[in-house]
Amino acid sequence: MARLVESNPFVEVATHFFLEDLADKVGIQGLNNYLIGLAKTLANHMPEEEWRDWKEFMEAIRAGDTMLSAFEDVVTLTDHCMVTRHSPFERGWREYVKRVGSFSPAHKNVAEYYNKNVKPTAVNSLHIILQTFRAAAAPRVKVGGKGVHYAQIATVWPDGQRMVASDAERTELLKKAGISETKLRILLRDNAEVWVLWADK
Amino acid sequence: MLDVALVSLINDLSEKAGADGVIQFWQRVGENLASRMGKEAYLGWPSFNVAVREGRTAFSIEGETVTLTDMAIMDVDGDVVGYLYALKQCVFLPTILRVRYSSGDLPRADREVAQEYNESHHDIAICNFCVFHERFREEVAKNITVSGQPLNCLLLATRGFTGETKISTKNLRKIGINPEHVRALLRNYECVYALEMRGARLKEGD
Repeated sequence: MARLVESNPFVEVATHFFLEDLADKVGIQGLNNYLIGLAKTLANHMPEEEWRDWKEFMEAIRAGDTMLSAFEDVVTLTDHCMVTRHSPFERGWREYVKRVGSFSPAHKNVAEYYNKNVKPTAVNSLHIILQTFRAAAAPRVKVGGKGVHYAQIATVWPDGQRMVASDAERTELLKKAGISETKLRILLRDNAEVWVLWADK
Repeated sequence: MLDVALVSLINDLSEKAGADGVIQFWQRVGENLASRMGKEAYLGWPSFNVAVREGRTAFSIEGETVTLTDMAIMDVDGDVVGYLYALKQCVFLPTILRVRYSSGDLPRADREVAQEYNESHHDIAICNFCVFHERFREEVAKNITVSGQPLNCLLLATRGFTGETKISTKNLRKIGINPEHVRALLRNYECVYALEMRGARLKEGD
């Protein structure tokens, strides 16, 4: 797959308005359901993958050769802890605030709905798409014949807003990722996403 | 990834609301975006064209825009009342490539929406995004004044990923420019449009 060319941010700004228009029509709950459905459809459209072993899979993650890193630059901090340096949505958002003005509240409102009803790791609407996409894409990847699982540990937006997995869940996820709570706090200073991948036992 | 997701969204919407529903949706989104970008005023064409070059106008959200200063639009008195502008690269092209290299090919809906638009509105669309684009520019133009006159935008020609071209003879006639001039421009550019002062008395072409 290799690194994809960058999109024109205008298309992303248009998509934001598309979603805002949708929110006016179907409400926040409807938009949430729509975003989830959209991300699942996108993941299901991407070809399934198989990798010989975890080492080969991690190389594919770093090179952008797997669907799980096709849209973002991912650094593998440990064999299971993935770090996205910059949000894949940052360029579009910057273009939006530069050309249009402040972000519509619909993007924040739907994230609040998602955080309350699904899991508390989205800062805005775009994270619902990205996190649902990863969750739907992971089972389509086989490593050494075993299925892959994904979970989000933390999300940071360029303006500094952050959302972190619940206390109860976080301890378990940090253990899987092989990093400490302190290390997580360091990562959150200057990265956009911290997430974890692991294979079936 | 948002742009790639958008392609799925168009497909889904097309299945639910039909190609015509997508067109209405896109046009509404284009109007909303243009209205959120607000009004702009320029002292004259030189000042507007410098703003275009520096990426300061509402049109600049599309990416690098070239002002074709050799293609001025004159009114019946011979005064300059507008210019032609062009994009070297279609705004949607990177997305087409991103879809191609991530999930495969563009869904059928992309072409169906463009086709429906060409048949029912204006025969100029190469892909579904042209629908949004044309309305967006028309609305932005209304919000910009040059020498106190609001502008009017006319989409003139487009060239798609596969080399297919569309030339709007209807709009070219309005500004008195020969289609052959624009055909030559399409070798270098993928989208050509005109901005002219609203209400200017133009000499129409044949």
